[in-house]
Parts: sequence; C-alpha cells; structure tokens
Amino acid sequence: MLDVNWVWGTALLYIVILFLVAYYADQRQREDRSITANPAVYALSIAVYSTSWTFYGSVGKAATTGIDFLPIYLGPTLTAFTWWFLLKKIVRISKENNITSIADFISSRYGSSQWLGAMITVITLMGIMPYIALQLKAVSTAFTIITGYHDFHVGVMERVYTPSPHPGLFTAALLALFSVVFGAKHLASTERHDGLVAAIALESLVKLVAMLVVGFTITYFVFDGMGDIFTRMYRKDPALLTRLITLGGTGENSYSSMFSLLTLSMSAVMLLPRQFQVMVLENADESHLNAASWRFPAYMFLMNLFVMPIALAGVLLTGSNVGADFFVLTLPMQQGYPWLALLAFLGGFSASAGMVMVESIAVSTMLLNHVLMPVVIRFKPQWWFPKLLINLKRFGIVLVILLGYLYQSVVGESYMLANMGLISFSAAVQFAPALIGGLYWPRGNKTGAIAGLSCGFAVWFYTLLLPSLLQAGGWQDDLLLQGPFGIEFLKPQALFWLTGLDPYSHTLFWSMFMNILAYLSLSILLGQGEKESEQMNRFVRVFSPENLEPQWETKRLSKPVTIVQFVNLMSKFIGEQQAHTAITDYLGDREIDSKGGVSEFELPNLKRFVEKTLAGSLGGAAAGAVVESFLSDIGSRMEPVFDIFSTVRTSRDQSREALSVRLRASEIMNRSLELDIIMGDLLELILREFKLDLCVIRLLNDEGMLEVRCHRGYGGERIISEGRTLEIDTHVGEAFLGRRTEFVNDTAFLTKAIAKEIANREGIRSFAHIPIASAGAPPVGVLSVFSRSIVGLFTEQFVELLESLAGQLAQAVNIVEEREARERERRQKEAALLENARVTRDLEIAKQIQLSLLPESAPRLKGLSIASRCIPAAHVGGDYYDFFERGEGRVDVIMADVSGHSVGAALIMVETRSVLRAQMKETHSAKDVLRLLNELLYDDLSGAELFITMFCAKYDGTTRTLSYANAGHSRPILFRAGGWEELDAEGLILGVEQSVSFEEKKVSLETGDLLLIYTDGIIEAEHETGELFGVERLCRLVSGLADEEPETVIERVLSEVNTYSWPHPLQDDISMVVMKVLNNEAETASC
Amino acid sequence: MKTSIRELLVKRLKLKDTWVICFVLGMIMMNYPFISIFNKPVFPFGIPLLYLYLLWGWMFSIFIVYLFSRAARRDTDGKGRP
Repeated sequence: MLDVNWVWGTALLYIVILFLVAYYADQRQREDRSITANPAVYALSIAVYSTSWTFYGSVGKAATTGIDFLPIYLGPTLTAFTWWFLLKKIVRISKENNITSIADFISSRYGSSQWLGAMITVITLMGIMPYIALQLKAVSTAFTIITGYHDFHVGVMERVYTPSPHPGLFTAALLALFSVVFGAKHLASTERHDGLVAAIALESLVKLVAMLVVGFTITYFVFDGMGDIFTRMYRKDPALLTRLITLGGTGENSYSSMFSLLTLSMSAVMLLPRQFQVMVLENADESHLNAASWRFPAYMFLMNLFVMPIALAGVLLTGSNVGADFFVLTLPMQQGYPWLALLAFLGGFSASAGMVMVESIAVSTMLLNHVLMPVVIRFKPQWWFPKLLINLKRFGIVLVILLGYLYQSVVGESYMLANMGLISFSAAVQFAPALIGGLYWPRGNKTGAIAGLSCGFAVWFYTLLLPSLLQAGGWQDDLLLQGPFGIEFLKPQALFWLTGLDPYSHTLFWSMFMNILAYLSLSILLGQGEKESEQMNRFVRVFSPENLEPQWETKRLSKPVTIVQFVNLMSKFIGEQQAHTAITDYLGDREIDSKGGVSEFELPNLKRFVEKTLAGSLGGAAAGAVVESFLSDIGSRMEPVFDIFSTVRTSRDQSREALSVRLRASEIMNRSLELDIIMGDLLELILREFKLDLCVIRLLNDEGMLEVRCHRGYGGERIISEGRTLEIDTHVGEAFLGRRTEFVNDTAFLTKAIAKEIANREGIRSFAHIPIASAGAPPVGVLSVFSRSIVGLFTEQFVELLESLAGQLAQAVNIVEEREARERERRQKEAALLENARVTRDLEIAKQIQLSLLPESAPRLKGLSIASRCIPAAHVGGDYYDFFERGEGRVDVIMADVSGHSVGAALIMVETRSVLRAQMKETHSAKDVLRLLNELLYDDLSGAELFITMFCAKYDGTTRTLSYANAGHSRPILFRAGGWEELDAEGLILGVEQSVSFEEKKVSLETGDLLLIYTDGIIEAEHETGELFGVERLCRLVSGLADEEPETVIERVLSEVNTYSWPHPLQDDISMVVMKVLNNEAETASC
Repeated sequence: MKTSIRELLVKRLKLKDTWVICFVLGMIMMNYPFISIFNKPVFPFGIPLLYLYLLWGWMFSIFIVYLFSRAARRDTDGKGRP
C-alpha cells in the first residue's frame, strides 16, 4: 500500500501540470501559433481511443478470455487503410459545413433532420453510459488498490468529513470539473480546443510510457523475457495457455468473436463521439491524416505489446486470473515496485481522464444542439442567449458524467472493464450504416436512416444493455432464461433461437441485420426530400470538382433581408463580436447596394452562410430552424424560383432552351434589316418562350426621351402609351442611366411611387428592365418585360439570357442606325456636289462675262505700242483695266484693283466700269476722274466693305506727256535707258473717305520708254519659302526686256511669276498693261 | 531500373484502389478460415504461433500504412494542395 497523501500529492501535481499545459496551449492558440496543429500531437490525441479499458482491461481480458483482446486494436489499424479516403472525406465535409458532432454530421446528411439528431444523441447518451462508468470505476478501483481507501481520500478528510462517500463520486466530480474548464470555454464547437488537445496528447504520452515501463519491468526484470513467461505458463497450466492463445469454435475467444470485435472496434474508432471529436473536429489540417494513419496504429501496437506477458505473469504470480483487470497495478506492488504502481496509477488516471473529458464534451455538444436547442429556439432570441447556451453546455458535461456514475453505481461490480466498453462499442456501430451509406450512397434517405437506427438501437437495448442491467441487479432472471412471457424465441440473449455466439457477436449480428435491412429497404422504397437531396449532394459529391463551381440558384427569398438583420440574429446566439467578425469575413469584397443589402441573387448564399455560422454553435438542424423562424417572423421565406427552363440542363451554365432562344434571336436579327420587324419578332419570341404578359422596347429618340418603339402582349395601355424621360426615379430610367438590369421579382415590395401605382393598376407581379447596349457602349434603349402571374420569375440565369438578347438587339439597332447615317451622309454629299457644280458653272459664266468686260484689244496709236492682260486667280476677280481713246493720239488708261477676288469684288468691278464709262465721256483730268469715282462709289464700297485702288493716266501722243493720278495703286514703273523709276502720286484708296483730293503729276515720255502698269498680284506672288516676288525682281526682269515688244514682256513676266510661285497656283489676280513709246512714225499693233 | 520500380510502387500506393485492397486483405487475413492456419498451440521461439502471427502482421500493416502515407505526402508536397 502507498501512503494516501503521497498518491494524492502526485495526482494533484500531475493535474496541475495538465492545467498548465492546457493553459499554455490556449495562449499559443490565441497568438495563432498553435502547438497542437501538427501530425504528432494529432496522432497522440487520437490515442484517446486507449482508455483505462486498454490500460487495465486488456490485461484482464487477455488473462480471462485470451487472445481476443487484440482485435479491439487490430480493427483500428485496419481502418487506417481507409482514412486516406474515408476520414478525409468526413473531415472535408465537416469543415465545409461547420459540423459540430457525429449526430450533427449524420443528421445534416439527411436533410438536417432534428429528429435524427435527437435520436442519435439519445442512443449515444445511453450507449456511452457504460463506457464512462468503466472509466470512473477504473479510477476509483485503482485508487482503492494502491491506497486501501475507497475513492479519493485525503488525510485531512478524516477529521472534517466523516461519512464515507460512495466510490467514484469524487472521481466523477473531479473529471467533470476538468472537462468544464477545458471543454466549454466557448460555444462554437467547430473551433479547435487547443488546450484540451494538448492535455489529451500529454495524457496519451503518459499512459504509453507507464504501460511500457510496467510491461518491460515485469517481462525483463521479474521474468526473463516473453519466451520465459510463455514457457513457465505452459509448464504450469498447458490447458489454460492453449485456451488463451488459440481461438475456439463458439462463444468468447472464437472465430466469430474475432470477427465481431474487429468490426466493433473498426466502427468505434471512427464513430464514438470522442473519436469523431478529436479526429474530425480537432483536425487542423487534412494532411495530418497521412502521418496519423501509421502513428496511431504504432501507438496501439506499443500499448499492447506487453499486455499478454503481463496477463500471464499475473496468472503465474497470483496463481489465478482473479482481479486480472488490475494486474498492471497489483503486480508492481506485489513485486515491491511501489513507484511503478504509482506510475501505473497515473497512466490509468490519464487514460480515464482523457476519455471522460473528450467524451463528455462531445456528448454535451450533441445534447445541447440536438435535444436542448430545439426547445430553446422556440423562444424569442434574447441578448442573454449566448450565456444561457454556454451554461447549458457545461450542464450537459456534468450530466453526462453523472449518468456514467449512476450506471457504475448500479452495474459497477458485476462486469469486467472490457465487457462494459464493448456495450458502448455495440451502440456506436449502429451509426455505421447511416454514416457510410450517407457518404457513398446517393439514394440513402432520412426515413431509412431513422428506421435503421431505431431498429439497431432497439435490438442493442434489448439484447445487450437490458441484460447487463438485469444481471447486475439480479432481477427478473426469468426474462433472460425463458424470454418475455415465456416466449422462447424472444429471449434477449438468444433472439430467434440464435445461439452459440458470444453476447456481443449476437447483438452485432441482429442489430446490424435489422439496421441495414431497414436502412436499405426504406431508402430504396421511399424518395428524398428537396433539402435532403441538396445535402446529399454536398456530402456524397464533396470531392467532385463540379461541386465547387457555382450552380444556378434555385431558391429565392420572397422578401429581401438586410445584412444588419442577419447580424442581429447571429449576435443573439453567438455574441455580437463573433457575429461581426463572421459577417466581415463573409462580405469581403462583395458588393453591397445602397439599401445595405447584397444583390438578390446573393441573398440565398448569405442566408446559407448565416446558417452555417450558427451551425458551428447550434448544430445544423437547430441553425436551420432558427433561420427559418427568423425569416417567417419578418415575413420572408425561401421559395423555389420559377424554373423557366423546364428540361434537364445540358451544360452547367446554359440550359438547352436558353441556347435555342439565343439561336433563334440571332436568326431574327439576320433575317431582316428593318428594325421594326426585328423588334417585333424578338418580342414575340420572348413572349412565346417565357411566361410573360407584356414586352416593350423603348429606344432613345432625338429629344432624349425613351420612346416606345415596339410592344407585344396585352394590356398595359399606360406603359406603352407614353415615353419615359431619363430620370432616376423610374425603374426604366434607373436601368438606362445605371446601365444595368433593374428587376423586381415581387411588386409587393416596390418602393418607387410611380412604379407601384402602375404595377397595381396593371396587376403586374414582377418585371424587369434591361438596358439595350452593346458591350462597353452607352445604352440605346430599354427592353422591358412584365409578368402578371409569376412572382420570382427573374432568376440569375433568366436575367442573363434577357441581357444577352438585349445585347443582340443593341447590335441590330446599331447596325440599322449606322446604315441610316451612312445613307444620309451619302445624300448630303451628292447634293453638295451638285450645288458645287452649279456654282462652278455659274462662276465660269461670270468669268467669261467679266473677261469680256475687259477691253478685247489694246488701242492702236501712233508712236505707242500697248499690250494688256488679266489672269484671274479664281473664276471671277477684282482686277480691271480699260482704255479710252480720245483721238489725236490721246488715250486714257485705267488700272483698278478691287480688294479681294470674290464675286463681290467682281460685282464692284463691274459697277466701277459702268460708272467709269459713264464718267469718262466727259473729259476730266486724271485726278478729277478719281475724285469723281470716289464720290460716286463711296457708299457702295463702304456698304460692301470693299476698297478699290486705281491708277488713272492720260497720255497725249502729240506732246508725249503722261499725266496721272493714283488712288493707292501699286506704283507703275517707267523704264528708260536701262534704268527705271516709279510713277508716284499722292492719293487715298477709293471708298475710304467721302471726299478726297488727289495729286496729279505729269511726265514726258521719250522714244524707247516702257511703262508697266500692274496689279499687286505680281509682286505679291509667293515663293515656296514665303519670299515675295517683289518690285525689285520685277524691275530687273523688265529692264532686261526693255527692247522687246510689250506682248513679249507680258508673256515673260507671267511665265516668271508662275515659275516663281510654283507649285502653288497664283493667290491673287494678275493684270498688266505695258506701254512702249515708239518713234512717232512707227505704228505698231498690239494684241 | 531500381528507381522505376520505386516510382511504380509510389504510383500504385497513391491509388485509392490499393488502399481498399489492403483493407480487404487485412480483413481476410484476420478472420476464419485464413486465421485457422495459425490457430495451433505451437510455440516457435517459445512464443505462441497465433500471437506471433498477429503481432508480426500488425507490424507489417503499420509499415504498409507508413509507405502509403509517405506516398500520399509526396503527392501533396509535389503538387500542392489538391
């Protein structure tokens, strides 16, 4: 016996260390540097499978029934082969659906059924009682064995606490405290419990080390190795050894029990709530499964390596297998290794504590989510709900442990540890058909699962749990021996006369037979609900790649819900802070519209997200119910969208109808060039294909109004009779200006006054306005469709189709408009060309007339040779020259230049000519001619804003004198004897002032003199470089030609000027008069 | 040649089929009638034959799973997360 205070002290120290480790792990988790998120810790935490049943019970079983203790651990090793696909699938589904427990997992698969969840919880609770009882019993018995006291006992207690507590109560209370502290810190069950996992991993390490040390010491210190133990045993009792190490034909330790135990343990390692908790919910990364799949079997191999040797050693040392369950403790004490016994006690305590903690937390989560929650959510959510829920969860933990304690106090003494564990395993295996079928068999349905579970559970209860309770109490042996009311084939342990099996194989066979039969047959006979098949897809096809792509939404919310409303709902269950964090994560970069909501197509997703978030704390079924009742409170609900495309979808993104409608629409566009025909046909197509009542096309007209251009369907006089201005307060205007589709799926929730009024009067239930626009271009109109009968017509898919039709229509409108614009332009051009030709012709005529107004030929005079020329730059010009013969060798020469060379200038020139001719009849002096002309023309000139420069000269052949006056004209040049001079006379341009006096000068001419009178077109001719021809150049040119005939001079000057300004045409009219003084005798003709 | 056999082995170990086959094989080898071969009171090396068979079989299957996990890990290392 060890000193009780010693044991207490060590145990307390160990518990403190566990607390510290757990606390440290929690701190690290908060800093996001988890110490448990690695494969080694993961594998160690799965080893929570090895409970005190393994630690103490395996040895007991090995010593009593023999080698069939091994399949309990061989089974999990076999399942490791399936982890890579089976467990991975479960983990993936659980993470994607925020699964909180195995009950949640199975019930979610079958349409989030609350009934199924509750049923699994009840089965688990009853099934788990013996298992927890086993742990409590192991701890308290172990304590008694090494200290001699019942249950935990401190020396101090003898003085304060006299009545001896019932065995196991202290153990239960201690473990409950432990579990509440570690396991129920927050409500969100999907969040990993780092502290808990760290403590479990440490405990797993301690129990392995304890087992190995005890086994090694006994095998190699007390005995000489394994061979020695077997040899001595063989010598002592060959019959017993043979029984223990071989399998018999029937009953325990037989082929059938081997099979049963393998099956039971394989299911248990996956399906027990605590295994599901550590393997699935506490899994940090899928890749950890890889490493854990060999580490965990290796752990169990080491754990069981010395079980058989210890068992046989116990039989050898104590002489029998009585009390074999605690050989691990008693042998070290008997052999004088008290410290070893203490270590073994710690190992056993670790094994129990780990199991009880995880199991109670897992079951309490199930209890909360599937039994209590359906009740809680019937009440209106309150702010204190999060507190209530977390306390309910703590209460659940305590309750689970207390139930175990209760079972232990009733049954405790009568059963071996291993056998109590097997009762629980047999309960857990009932989940297997529903779970495996749910993962791989699409047809498996809720009814089948519920029926299968009920049958299996009933058989389990009747054939295994009930007998265990009856045998323990020693009541009603009749029932076990003769069956109920003496009906023999209903005997619990030989149902339907099936005998020859051990009780566990018997139960396994009948429960699985009934379970699977009910599950399969009902699944085949009955169908699945809508929600069920939706969930089925998420589970069975979780790895199919197409499952990841967005599918068409088939549901809509009848009344939009804002984000704030959802956040408020979540706050009431999971607390405000978590709710805000969750919604922020979700929204991310999603678009939020002006009313604080997401788009209508996004709403069902948001609703699902809220459900999923709540599911993390409340379980899937309860979360669904919470959201459902919330929606119905605000008058909204999920309803199926109207499926406009009735046939099976041929491809994932487009139905066959949608494709065919698009095809036919493009046929319509190609068939005609008339926009009205295209629009009419298109509207008829839309009207015919979809359940619409009215379709309208509005196009933007020149006044900036959306004018109704085409409509089909009946009614809607007001809609089709008037255009719409581009204003944001109509839906049409909003669609056009916002360049995106405006649709209202239920006109009951309209906000725009005008639209509401129209919808009410026309009885419109849903409508959509689609802007007609080609990609990237501004819209040209709006396509509107209305339905009077269907709410929720506009699905994402349908709207996309309508948008694509509107896009096609926009193309057609553009093409037609472009064609019309081209036509218009062509006509305008033609007209302009015609007009131009007419003007040109007129101008040509004018030119001819104008040229004919100039003197046909220069006058012939004695002693004077004259040549003249006028080259207009345009058709008509403003240059003018004239000769007036006065007889007796006298001649008057006029050279004038009207500013500009337009038609106006030409007209003024003509007027000038008329006036001049009229006036020249009188004989005036040159200056009087100019003065008179100025007076007469002033009004006209200033009216036309034109001027005239004019040079007037009178030549008297008899005296060879030239008298002249100049009204601002280019000064004529007189060439004489190789030199030249300009004839200058003061005078203002005509048309500047009303009355001007001009200077008159005289010059005597001599034989050989050459007078050049010209207009500025010559000297202002421009070279390519911008340089002007200039007087200088002209003078040099002409002085070189002084001996030539006047006509030749003119030709040469013209050709020089043309060459000079080449390649540009002349900018101004050019006129020249060249007079050459000859001998009086000579008389030369001019041209 | 050596590496190609190794590659082939790794490739097969990645197949889900191989895992299932191993699982089924293990199930058969631990049940009647297969197990009856070893179900005899014989003591090679002083240790019962059935016990020895189960322990060795256990170790062997742990080794096989270890190979599996190596292959699977190589897969995830090579291509990133699927």
